[in-house]
Amino acid sequence: MSENKKQNYLNHPKGLMSWILTLDHKRIGLMYLVSGILFFFLGGLLALVMRFELAAPGNDVISNEVYNNAYTLHGAIMIFLFIIPAIPGALGNILLPLMVGAKDVAFPRLNLASFYIYSFGALFAMYTIINGGVDTGWTFYTPYSTQSSSNVVPMTLGIFIIGFSSILTGLNFIATIHKMRIPGLTWYKLPLFVWALYGTSLVQITATPVLAITMVLLMLERFLGIGIFDPALGGDPVLYQHFFWFYSHPAVYIMILPAFGIISEIIPVHSRKKIWGYKFIAYSTLSIAFIGFLVWGHHMFTSGQSVFSQIVFSFITYFVGIPTGVKIFSWILTMYKGQVSFTPPMMYALAFLFLFTIGGLTGIFLGAVALDIHLHDTYFVVAHFHYVMQGGTIVAFLGGLHHWWPKSFGVMYNQTVANIAALGVFIGFNGTFFPQFLLGLRGMPRRYATYDEQFVELHSYSTFWSGILGLSIFLAIMNLFWSFIRKNKVDPGSNPWGGMSLEWTHTSSPPHPHNFEEEPVLQHGPYDYDKVIVEKTYNK
Amino acid sequence: MSDHNPNAPSHLKHYFHDVNQQYETSKFAMWAFILTEVLTFAGLFVAYIVYRSWYPDMFVDAHKLLDVNKGLTNTIVLITSSLTMALAIWAIQKNNKKLSVFMLVATFIFALAFLGIKYLEYSHKFEVGQLPGLYYSYMGPDAMHLNNPHIFFSIYFIMTGLHGLHVAIGMGLIAWLIYSTQKGNLTSEYYTPMEMIGIFWHLVDLIWIYLFPLFYLIG
Amino acid sequence: MSEHHITPLKTYLIIASLLLFLSGVTVWVSYVDLGPLNIVVAMLVATVKASLVAFFFMHLLWDDKKNLTLFLMSLMFFGIFVTITLLDTEFRGDLGLNPEVKNPINNRAAFYDTLPLTDTHGHPVDGHSDDHDKDKDHH
Repeated sequence: MSENKKQNYLNHPKGLMSWILTLDHKRIGLMYLVSGILFFFLGGLLALVMRFELAAPGNDVISNEVYNNAYTLHGAIMIFLFIIPAIPGALGNILLPLMVGAKDVAFPRLNLASFYIYSFGALFAMYTIINGGVDTGWTFYTPYSTQSSSNVVPMTLGIFIIGFSSILTGLNFIATIHKMRIPGLTWYKLPLFVWALYGTSLVQITATPVLAITMVLLMLERFLGIGIFDPALGGDPVLYQHFFWFYSHPAVYIMILPAFGIISEIIPVHSRKKIWGYKFIAYSTLSIAFIGFLVWGHHMFTSGQSVFSQIVFSFITYFVGIPTGVKIFSWILTMYKGQVSFTPPMMYALAFLFLFTIGGLTGIFLGAVALDIHLHDTYFVVAHFHYVMQGGTIVAFLGGLHHWWPKSFGVMYNQTVANIAALGVFIGFNGTFFPQFLLGLRGMPRRYATYDEQFVELHSYSTFWSGILGLSIFLAIMNLFWSFIRKNKVDPGSNPWGGMSLEWTHTSSPPHPHNFEEEPVLQHGPYDYDKVIVEKTYNK
Repeated sequence: MSDHNPNAPSHLKHYFHDVNQQYETSKFAMWAFILTEVLTFAGLFVAYIVYRSWYPDMFVDAHKLLDVNKGLTNTIVLITSSLTMALAIWAIQKNNKKLSVFMLVATFIFALAFLGIKYLEYSHKFEVGQLPGLYYSYMGPDAMHLNNPHIFFSIYFIMTGLHGLHVAIGMGLIAWLIYSTQKGNLTSEYYTPMEMIGIFWHLVDLIWIYLFPLFYLIG
Repeated sequence: MSEHHITPLKTYLIIASLLLFLSGVTVWVSYVDLGPLNIVVAMLVATVKASLVAFFFMHLLWDDKKNLTLFLMSLMFFGIFVTITLLDTEFRGDLGLNPEVKNPINNRAAFYDTLPLTDTHGHPVDGHSDDHDKDKDHH
């Protein structure tokens, strides 16, 4: 035991340089986690400032110009600096090699490089904020983005750079999943989180290059007036939207697929039941990743694209619902007759099921052209994507953090506080965003710093509950952080939830610097609760 | 690592089981990287296709302002450099270090020639004002009837410029290969970097194979 | 790593000669007027050349088929990108409500009006600087 205490990745080797130059995927994952959460707080702060501005129509907390900067930066920071890098970069990095039984990812140097590329890109984003922000919206639509005098270039340059980090992480993960599995760990024995990361990485390497070239064209449009996106120079601004959404719609699946993976891990473990429909979930991940490339035009129903392509996009959009539905039903059937325990990770997973279902179904509404023309650019859209991005991805991320926290850091948080925070997130979230569906249906447009008297009631509800939501997330993260400060250690051999995949059964908590003390031999699949009994071992 | 074979070759990283796994992983990742490269250029090809279908006449007439002879010369130069690159790998596989270095140097020189010819083309365009976007100023007798030729030159400069950037990066990589092959770091036992850079170099050739007819040979 | 496939020297030389030959063919064909078929022929020749490079120089023919799959995937996603974008750009205004939408961007950019006429060396030409004169000359 004392041997184990000496040898884990957190305390061995020691020294600042051993962190800065580390090639250990777990340390790199931890660095992603810390930076991701910092950006999450920054983005969340911007959101709260906007909500306070919107508490009453005549409010003047911030000026209209600052409001434009706030929603742009909120979107850009949350998407490009937190959600896209955070789950693959943090949880994926820490867990993927453990789950496939490898000593590290396929290219550890590349992994470190992608963290620094991400940090370098983040510097540009920070420069943008200090230098007075950017006011185009996170989508940088032309022609406004070619004319705006705000910091479009530093921000797009930052996004361009972060794109490379995303590509390199995806490339690394794909190579790891294909080539680094231990013998006997066949594709159908992989934990579903690995499948999810595989789908995510495929989307990252196929879509992100197009974002890179789009950002380059946008910058060139500003520098040289190349005319490709500028109608005054014989170009077509709608083409920019095609370019942008060819990346950014698949990027929605970069954000949500890892969340699906996390939920696929949490639900069977905390229900102590074999996952229902393993292959369905695995293949639905890949089909969502693929269909995600065919539907980008549903963001452009009011852009002036051809009616023919609107019909095609609307039609294909409905297909996304099929694999997504397959997943939701599989998770529900996994819980059926299982021993469901209401641990914090499971609370988040249940919240996810509820919130994501609402987010997904309202997406079907918006996929219908006729309805979307009415709802486009209203709060209905805002509520829809927050139900997917926050209610889906961030809730799953929090669930995943709670699930793997004892494994990754060898400490256990206060579960009661964690449950209270989870409940607060769930209620606060619904309180914040459900009124926004109603606001949108009544015609409240998005991205306005003020509004008509008739919306005051719903807006003030939304603002009130957004405070609760912010406090709950803060409580959840602080509770996790506190366990780390207090050194509330779990036994290195513990398996508090009774997980069956390699990271639970074959590594200590926190793991050894080289992951496994000896090469693991696969004894059972990741969800074989019907065949093998794995005890919950826990020293508290 | 306790389970690590002490007799393993020095280039084997500790987190791989054997040399072959390491080689195959690198190669697989290289192809994944090629995929990202193809899709980077894909965005520009889409721009090309869309604008060519919107301005068919302008594209046909604007392409006449390009120099086919220089384009064809560059095609030949690049194909030859691809051959010498492949032969460098062939030589190292046969453990013929001298021939391999010679072929790499030849590849480097061909790459330099490519950029040299490109430079001549570009400098002519700069002189007469056939430039991208708002910097376009050429209104000669063969161009004044053209509708928005600056778009053709925008796409031309971005695509050939990005391609040229890849040639320049490739030259840096080949220079490094020359150095490490000369030092004896690469042998028939371990030549993974040369194989990877070779794949990259052939991709550069492959993209030019499309750029050449699309810009210089519009019918 | 003796188990790696070593392509015979002869193969490389044959492929390179084929590539050079096809480059000549594609230039020659471009001077023959085939109408819309010109672009088709040019792209066919380019694709044959690209396949030769990919299969022989890049060793895809002998490689793990996963690598080929990745390469074909990149082409497939490129195909998706082009096809779906063209569904928009080629069909603008196809319901006939506003025929002008068909050609949304055919207006000449304003900066051309201020450009002086030049000779083939890019030097400004005197006396022909306004459009009216130019039209007269053409008649």
